[in-house]
Amino acid sequence: MLEILENNWLLFLVGQYPHGPIGGLTMTLFMAATALALCFPFAIALALARLSPYRWLRLPATAIVHTVRGLPLIMFIFWTYFVSPLVIGRAVGGVETLVIALVVYEAAYLSEIIRAGIEGLPAGQVEAAKSLGLRYWPTTFKVVLPQALHNMLPSMVSQFVSTIKETSLGYVISAHEVTFAASQVNNVLLTQPFEVYGILALTYFVLCFALTSLARFIERRTSSGRGGAPGVIVAA
Amino acid sequence: MIRFENVDKWFGPMQALAGVSGEVGRGEVKVLVGPSGSGKSTLIRTVTRLETIQGGRVLVDGTDVGSRGVDINRLRQRVGFVFQAYNLFPHLSAIGNITLGLTKLRGMNKAEARERGLAELARVGLAEKADEMPGRLSGGQRQRVAIARSLAMDPQVMLFDEPTSALDPEMVGEVLAAMKQLAASGMTMICVTHEMGFAREVADEIWFMEGGAVLERGKPAELTGTSAHSRLQAFLASTRHGGSAA
Amino acid sequence: MGYVFDLRGVLSGQYLDWFVIGVATTLALTCVAWCLAMVMGIILTLIRMIPLPPLGWFVALYVEYHRNVPLLVQILIWYFGVPSLLPRPARQWINAHHGEFLLAAIALGLASAAYIAEDIRSGIRSIPKAQYEAARSIGFGYLGAMGYVVLPQAMRIAIPPLINQTLLLFKNTSLAMAIGVGELTYRTREVESYTFKTFEAFAVATVIYLLISFGIMALGSYSDRRLKLETR
Repeated sequence: MLEILENNWLLFLVGQYPHGPIGGLTMTLFMAATALALCFPFAIALALARLSPYRWLRLPATAIVHTVRGLPLIMFIFWTYFVSPLVIGRAVGGVETLVIALVVYEAAYLSEIIRAGIEGLPAGQVEAAKSLGLRYWPTTFKVVLPQALHNMLPSMVSQFVSTIKETSLGYVISAHEVTFAASQVNNVLLTQPFEVYGILALTYFVLCFALTSLARFIERRTSSGRGGAPGVIVAA
Repeated sequence: MIRFENVDKWFGPMQALAGVSGEVGRGEVKVLVGPSGSGKSTLIRTVTRLETIQGGRVLVDGTDVGSRGVDINRLRQRVGFVFQAYNLFPHLSAIGNITLGLTKLRGMNKAEARERGLAELARVGLAEKADEMPGRLSGGQRQRVAIARSLAMDPQVMLFDEPTSALDPEMVGEVLAAMKQLAASGMTMICVTHEMGFAREVADEIWFMEGGAVLERGKPAELTGTSAHSRLQAFLASTRHGGSAA
Repeated sequence: MGYVFDLRGVLSGQYLDWFVIGVATTLALTCVAWCLAMVMGIILTLIRMIPLPPLGWFVALYVEYHRNVPLLVQILIWYFGVPSLLPRPARQWINAHHGEFLLAAIALGLASAAYIAEDIRSGIRSIPKAQYEAARSIGFGYLGAMGYVVLPQAMRIAIPPLINQTLLLFKNTSLAMAIGVGELTYRTREVESYTFKTFEAFAVATVIYLLISFGIMALGSYSDRRLKLETR
């Protein structure tokens, strides 16, 4: 197993670069981070819409979130695969497809975390802001969201871990991430699938375990601090 | 009936009980009072080994509670324990709480157990609430069911750990009434409580604890006036003037 | 866009059969994996209750492995990796008996078991120690106290998360298509590649997935409401 790692570590790390597009673990992390970053505004919008007193905002937002929760990610990926070329007007590669699908998918799940964070704030916060004369948007952006996001930091790190695991579906659409890279190594070696995929599993394990431990560490440190919302770790 | 011989207990570096000795004879009612942290709850918890001790002995009817080979479960059936937080089983009805022990531990069949359960509930004045779930009962009712639950096991001793401290004031009376009735019937009891009126009426002896030791012992009648029990007097004075329950 | 939306083309004859087989396979996979997951989850919980540190470490490792490695990778290991470690006769048997379905079910079941074990453990931990003490004070031993007082309450608390796990398991069956299991997503792609009616095919699959998912979610909210107990 060590031998395989020695010979192929570069492939696992960066895919076929420089003889092809960047892939491997680098791409995995890049896609996960990009997807999560890009989905943020949408997630906040969805969360606020779900908490809105206006039915015309609340109901569609709720419908969107429930629909996303009801479909497997792979179905999203296929939908994106077929729909994006039509919308964007050109062929869309595996990596782009995956990122777009993840943005939509993660926005829904992240919005639930943000919503929990907002709902977990003591009502007194909003009341205090109102008493000072702050209106809705300034209250939301300067009082509610900063605290909600801080409280939900462990959950968000958890969600990042989930996103990393979800990038593995790139394998199905030949997007150049680390699982796809591993399958390429396996296709060359053929006789040692257990070792190859074992290395893959180990890679994910080390990465995700480290991040999950970070999330737990943050949770321990913040729960004794500000006295905000209880830590809600979203299982993925 | 129950004897404490030089009992020591530590929670880490903190000594909760320091060389406590004392005896509770059959049919006697002893009341433990003292400020919070004095070790009174810890002391009665040692009787059924809910707390273990590091020094001395606790004897129940001659049996050393901490010795190897003691059937602690058998012993706990003979010693009833009523908690401050009642600890009723929320997934069982009032009578279900009582019949659980009767059917599973005493081997009674359902009908017998129910009959016995109803009798115990009647004794504490709650026969009509037999099939209610604990969530629908008031605090005072729950505590009385808890007392009935312990009594159903035919204990030789009843231990009460601040049974009324978690109750709203208007419900304290009904629980104390049940306890007084029990005392009058000749049950051996040890009560940790702040209810001095109850203590004066019912206790054969009051033990005042502080810092893990029994500082003073006295009959209720001796409580008023004498300087020999000055520490106890000071404590009583502070509680009588609306001091908070620990 | 000049595209004619034609559902009938996709829901007729052979293609309808494929969809039906797909749904049946998805449901079969869900059920088999679920049973394995529940059994394994309970076994893990029981192992955890034995006060031997090495056993605790084993369960912790099991849980962490299944939570940190992507499910797809686990499936690939079971399908490509494990058979290569087995003796020839075993491999041949697997291939002759719907190997990919079995291995996918095993992968899904064992992965869900990790989450189920954690959900049950959370349930048990949320029961106040005082309940256990009260049971022991009446005279129950460890097993009696756990069996009659703690576990009944813990399971009530664990049911909503367990139903959520069921939903996740159901959705995760779609990953089995990567190793050729003919469940709904796989069949949908088949229909799509034969009819070229991408939207219609995927629309049908989407509706089916949503209907079943919403059913499970509804079961979840229903049980959440019914099982609430007042404590103390």
